Parts: sequence; C-alpha cells; structure tokens
Amino acid sequence: MTLPAPPGWLERLLILSLSARDRETISGDLLEEYREEQVPRRGSLRANVWYVRQSVSFLSTRSFGGPPMKAALTWMAVLTAAAGVWLIVMEHALKHAGYAGRMGIATFIVVESLATLLFVALGRRSILRGLVLVGAVTVGLLGVSAIKGILGARHFEGFVLLIGSALVAQSLLTIAVVVRARREKTL
Amino acid sequence: MLLTVWKLQQEAYGRAILRGVQSALVREVAAGAVYATLDRLEQKNLMESRLEAGTEARAGRPRRYYRLTAAGIRALNESKAALEQVWRGAEWPLESKT
Repeated sequence: MTLPAPPGWLERLLILSLSARDRETISGDLLEEYREEQVPRRGSLRANVWYVRQSVSFLSTRSFGGPPMKAALTWMAVLTAAAGVWLIVMEHALKHAGYAGRMGIATFIVVESLATLLFVALGRRSILRGLVLVGAVTVGLLGVSAIKGILGARHFEGFVLLIGSALVAQSLLTIAVVVRARREKTL
Repeated sequence: MLLTVWKLQQEAYGRAILRGVQSALVREVAAGAVYATLDRLEQKNLMESRLEAGTEARAGRPRRYYRLTAAGIRALNESKAALEQVWRGAEWPLESKT
C-alpha cells in the first residue's frame, strides 16, 4: 500500500528552507505527522493546507529575521549611520537653503541606526523594540520619499538613490528582525 | 517548552514535542516557532540532542531526540520557583474585590 504524501514540490520547498542539520529530521517529523494524524483526521486536501502552513512557518521563523538577516541589518545600520553623519557634515559645510531641516532628518537617521545597532546587540528589550520599530517605519518612508523625489528630479543624484535604497532595506530588515524577536518570546 | 521535553522523557523528539506544546497551550502552534525555540534552547545548553533511526512513516528519515541538561533542569526549577514567588499571598481562584 502506498502511504499518503504531501506534494513533492512542497516538500522540496520545505527542505530548501531548512538548514542542512535539520533537513532530514524536521521534514521527517512533518511527514510522520501528515501521514499518521493530519490525513486520517482532516483528509488529503486539508492535510496539504496544514503542510503548507507549517512550511511557511519555517520561512518566517528561520530564514526570515534569523542570524543572516541580523548580520545584514547590522551592516546596513552601520552604512546608514555613516551616510547620516556624512550628510550632516556636508549640509553644515555647504549651507544650502533649507539645510537645517535636512540636517535634522540626517540626525534622525543616525539616531535610528544607532538604536537599531543597540537593539541587535541587546536582544529583546520591549521599549527599545517599540522605538526601533516606529523609527524603522519612519526611516523606510523617508527612503521611499527620497527615491521618488530623485527619480522625478531634473538632476539625478546617485547618492540620494543609494541612501534612499539603504534606508528602505534597513526598514524592512528591522521589521523582520523585530517580528522574529517577538515570535520567539511567545514560546 | 522545557517542561514538555522533561515530561516526554525518552520520547521527546520533534513531532512529539510539537504535539505536547500544542496540547499544553490548547491551540495549534506553528512548527517553525517550536523548532526555532528548540534550536535556541540547545544553543543555550539547556538541552542536548541525539539522532536515532527513522520509521517507515517518515520515509526512514532520522528522529532528533532532545533531553534536558543539568542547566535545563535548573532553569526549569528556577522558573517554577519564580512563578510560585509571584503568586505567594494570592488565594486561588482569584475573586473580584468590587
């Protein structure tokens, strides 16, 4: 008799999202649960839906917001902090119209990047987590606004596009890492 | 999680732990969250694991069995003591004072 099995592509997708150490054991656990509990209790279709949900949970809790993302976030925060300092120095030196406002924005970017680095170093501190999350959303919006502005401007300035993209990337990475920290705390 | 592993004793492998946690919390829990926590507890040396041969139901794939280390048992005892300390002086079940 052939034992029931989840779609092969789905299982391959799950295996791809797992580390080499866990590939066999975790996919085996889920296959065992699928065959012995989910299919007999829910039927094939709903068992497949269950399998999809479990596979997605690995994407969201392992790769998403995991150590590689923390490392990427650290580097991104260092980059944006440095870019913020550079912007402050340049605005202060050139003193073009409206420079004070732009210096304020650059200072905010530096502070948010330093707070993000502190959050990554200290881990789950609820107050810091909330502040960093709000800051990340603001920084992301600033990045999107900068990108939109420079793409529609007459004079294209590459550094604005670069810093804007870095801010958007930092925002997304921060949200991923914060969400993961929150999930880990619930167990 | 630590208590579930301790309760399962020799049967504490991934799937059994997942079911144990779901049963304790009385809700479905994402497998990804459970395995991420197991990883973290193992990294903190609160648990250790070993591999054993798989069965036909899992296509021969090995099972990873977990057990608490001495530090894990100590952490579990400390967590129980902390909980009891917090509840000390409160009569169960709580009643409204209004």
